[in-house]
Amino acid sequence: MYSYIVRRFAFGGITVFGVSIIVFLIMRIMPGDPLTAIFGPEGMTKLTEAQRQSYMEELGLADPLIVQYLNWILDIVKGELGRSFFRAESVGEMVMRRGPLTAQIAILSVVLSWILGIPVAIISALRPNTAADNTARVISITCLAVPGFWLGMLIVLGLLFGFGYRAPQTAGGAGLFEDPGTVLQIIIGPAFVLALGQAAYIARMARSSLLEVIREDYVRTARAKGLNGRLVVSLHALPNALLPVITLSGILLGFVLAGSIPVERAFGTPGLGYAMFTAVNERDIFVMQNLVFLYAVVFVMLNITVDIIIAWIDPRIRYQ
Amino acid sequence: MSAQPETPTAEESRRAGRPLPARMWGGLRHFGRRSPLSAFWGCVALLIVAMAVAAPVISPYPPLKSDFRSMQKAPYDEHLFGTDQIGRDTLSRVIHGSRTSLIVAFAAVLLGTTLGSLWGLACGYLGGRFDIVSQRIIEFLQSFPDLILAMAIAMALGSGTVTVIIAIAITRIPFGGRVIRSVVLSLKEMSFVEAARSLGASNMRIMLFHILPQCVAPYLILATTHLGVAIIIEASLGFLGVGIPPPAPTWGNMLADALNAGIVPPWWLVLFPGVAITITVLAFNLFGDGIRDVLDPRLRGAV
Repeated sequence: MYSYIVRRFAFGGITVFGVSIIVFLIMRIMPGDPLTAIFGPEGMTKLTEAQRQSYMEELGLADPLIVQYLNWILDIVKGELGRSFFRAESVGEMVMRRGPLTAQIAILSVVLSWILGIPVAIISALRPNTAADNTARVISITCLAVPGFWLGMLIVLGLLFGFGYRAPQTAGGAGLFEDPGTVLQIIIGPAFVLALGQAAYIARMARSSLLEVIREDYVRTARAKGLNGRLVVSLHALPNALLPVITLSGILLGFVLAGSIPVERAFGTPGLGYAMFTAVNERDIFVMQNLVFLYAVVFVMLNITVDIIIAWIDPRIRYQ
Repeated sequence: MSAQPETPTAEESRRAGRPLPARMWGGLRHFGRRSPLSAFWGCVALLIVAMAVAAPVISPYPPLKSDFRSMQKAPYDEHLFGTDQIGRDTLSRVIHGSRTSLIVAFAAVLLGTTLGSLWGLACGYLGGRFDIVSQRIIEFLQSFPDLILAMAIAMALGSGTVTVIIAIAITRIPFGGRVIRSVVLSLKEMSFVEAARSLGASNMRIMLFHILPQCVAPYLILATTHLGVAIIIEASLGFLGVGIPPPAPTWGNMLADALNAGIVPPWWLVLFPGVAITITVLAFNLFGDGIRDVLDPRLRGAV
């Protein structure tokens, strides 16, 4: 088990290194000067050559690329994660302030997706190709086609017109445990919207994996010895059927972090996704560079964690 | 028995002898019988494509023309989907939005899947160090959630149609690379490849004339299953302000406009573009599922 974990993390380290290079390349080598991105094409024409030069030096953009890259890595190691061009706050501070909200949204959405997806999957798998199964399929296919941010806008509008309700726009920096009422009101909307898409995938995956497991000999044995159907499913079949669902859920969690960017924009949630939206609109390349890297690292870490959890649950994998 | 056992059966000769349109019609009927739901949504997808092509003809107003007598009006008989803040007709903008959406989605998926597939073909066939390095690069690319990679690229390149196409295409490359590579890995062990090699065919020739044609089915499946995702990413980019910039109407930037207009966006500006996205994605997803089931049932779940 330990050797598996070490191996997995070593590969993860290589991936993170590769990811950092890709992010750096996207932000630097792409056509156009970083200053154009910051000042916009019109602003650029107003800058004199000397001003340009001084800005480039001030931002460290005049150094050779390899020096810039090493400086960036140094910055990451220090935990600063660079500075916004427009704000006093370092990206590290911003992540600490806004990150928890997005993390809560992501985790709550995973919980909700299991609550929504697994019962649907059980119903579908126990009675495949019945009306209930088909309804579940139609709903899940529709959930996959609805863009989350649009659903979010509809929910905000519906609540406003129907009930005159609008979720609080900020928790004033309070955490989930200090002010659960406010924080829950902020995160429940985005979490629900993000959960729907995941629930659809989870229901599909859990259904097909349950259908496979139910045919196994040991399930028939459990039935044959007279155990009632409900217990066979919940205690014998379900735990094994959920293994691939755990893997899927971990991967989806990474996509939820990305999906939360437009969804947070739709709800006006003051999380990290909203910060990403602001950064991309202000063309703040330093913030983008660090946030994109951070999201990718979290994504890689999630995949590793899922692999380790699966290996821990299922010994067959770790000896491969 | 019949006098000429050598001739093909009646059924076979009837099939082979029919002209191409009839055969295509037969294929379509087969598709319809196999998966009626997919066939229905395939028709919807075709209608949407037709709407995009005929956009200037069927839209009641030019998409950029402001009607200053009716600004931000709820739907009524003159403007069936209402008008936006500066009096542009929402219905016309939704119709024209389908153009951008489909052009971007088709171009991006075509570009990304083709590049990825060719890369996968080279990886699978050549193997060795080239394959190892390529697999690492593909893994790095897959370490980003699609939307974030597309956002970063679109921002770095500056907004515009070509930029968005490139950004989405790059996120599609790893899928093509992985799937086609695994197909090629199994194909290259087959005896027809060995036969070609024993006849003295070069690697290039074997790749292009013997293996590539066998990759058409998985390629088509890949391309159709990724259309829906591409449309969603395009809409998200537009919504986040890094897609195709206004005033050109896209479903994504229409929704962004609605949100930027005020604290409370008018419902018709929110509802219609989103419905358009949903129906389009639904149509292409289900059509793609049908294509996959018909072309290769074994690939179910693999792509």
